Amino acid sequence: MNTFFADWFYLSIRNIKQIWRPLLAFVPNFFIPIFFFATNAVSFQAVSKLPGFPTDSYLNFIAPTAIFTSVFFATSNIGIELVLDIASGYFKKLTIMPVNRLAIILARLSEAAVLALIQGSVVLILVLLLGVKIATGFWGVVVMFLILMIFAMGWSCIGLIAALRTQNPRMVQSLFILVFPFQYLTTSQMPIELLPRGFAMAVKLNPVTYILEATRSLMLGSWSDAAINQGLMVAVATCVIMVTLTLLSYRKALK
Amino acid sequence: MKYAIEVQDLVKRYPNSEKNAVDGISFTVTPGEFFGFLGPNGAGKSTTINMLVNLIKPTSGVVKIAGFDVQHQPDEVYKRVGFAMQEIGLDETATAREMMQLHARLYHLPTENMDKKINDLLEMVELLPVADKYTSTYSGGMKRRFDLALSLIHEPKVLFLDEPTVGLDPHARQLIWKHLKELNKKGMTILLTTHFMEEAEQLCDRIAIVDQGKMVTEGTPKELMKEHKADSIEEVFLKVTGHSLGADEINQHAQDPFSRALPK
Repeated sequence: MNTFFADWFYLSIRNIKQIWRPLLAFVPNFFIPIFFFATNAVSFQAVSKLPGFPTDSYLNFIAPTAIFTSVFFATSNIGIELVLDIASGYFKKLTIMPVNRLAIILARLSEAAVLALIQGSVVLILVLLLGVKIATGFWGVVVMFLILMIFAMGWSCIGLIAALRTQNPRMVQSLFILVFPFQYLTTSQMPIELLPRGFAMAVKLNPVTYILEATRSLMLGSWSDAAINQGLMVAVATCVIMVTLTLLSYRKALK
Repeated sequence: MKYAIEVQDLVKRYPNSEKNAVDGISFTVTPGEFFGFLGPNGAGKSTTINMLVNLIKPTSGVVKIAGFDVQHQPDEVYKRVGFAMQEIGLDETATAREMMQLHARLYHLPTENMDKKINDLLEMVELLPVADKYTSTYSGGMKRRFDLALSLIHEPKVLFLDEPTVGLDPHARQLIWKHLKELNKKGMTILLTTHFMEEAEQLCDRIAIVDQGKMVTEGTPKELMKEHKADSIEEVFLKVTGHSLGADEINQHAQDPFSRALPK
């Protein structure tokens, strides 16, 4: 068991270093979340005047979406990095070491969690500078990032599974588009009460909605909001299910 | 330990294939032996070597390395084998020293003297001056030499080498041969696959030749040349694998690479 945590730690360090090697590959990750945030905050400001809209400022409403988007985008690189390791043969080297395979998978996901933390923090600082207040304070930020990092680990498994099953970089890269339907079939742009009925039903079935709502509750609501617990449970369930599926794919890849 | 490598009736049939890629191969390698495993392209060499290190599951058969069953005691096997692969497989976002430190930790080696050991290995392959450079900056020969050093970090009992000198210039090849001879002299068991017959003749105590998934001949270089009335191992190779080269190159049993793009 001791070696399991040591292996996870050392492999995580190796993977985390890849975030900024090269640095130029890291910087563009910030562009799209900040761009979406800026354009939405400016163009949809009038929406906040609608009856039933929960806040006076669309900037406040969209700020959790901006943080979530930056974290969601952080998950897209993990599968690519694994498929590059597979293509180069390095993954084979890891596989024939006396290292627990769960540690190899979790180390990749730790990279996703750290990337989510870095990207989310940059966008958080930006929204704080624009005047958005965090209703639940410092500990609210801690819980928010906990939920977002667990979710980022779970969602990154989609890329890992694709990498293990197809070993094809283009296939893994193409799965990035999944981010868009899952992000837009949520309350990212509008509260659920103002969405058409059919759309709202789809939104309720989307696990991403619960992560986003937990983020929004921690930023704009209060500790008593049920959405916080729901978001945490959905994040943990997503992570456990997806890590299990990734391990099964790993086993299958060696047959 | 009687055998360093023991292979019994090893069979591999890939999904959707009508023919075995490896078809009932059996052989043994004694501790300290330098064993050559030769064959034309598509003969099943790489599939066999991948099964020996548990990278591919066999369809049937038994593989034991240093007395441990690869299927049932994989961690015991992993601790005892080193593998320098055809595709090298380096982390190009890391320096040579970082990679060696990581591998030493993943093999759970004691930390005392780790730095000295890393320096010694890098010096052995003449890469100590570039130890702190990213491996992406290395030439092909440097990468091969580094890969050899990396595969030795945990002092494996059995070293698998899959075409370790392919693409190297004569100087780099000679350097690798020298290291391999020294390692073997110190008692390391080595299994080598190569397309260079001269390499096999120079290095190997015993050679097996496989073709179409089956072992077609086995013995010391002298025995093979005598048995097949040949003047060189290359001549033996051509005699025992003398079918149409075209059939091998087409590799009729290979999976469609693009079908892998869709999860099954």
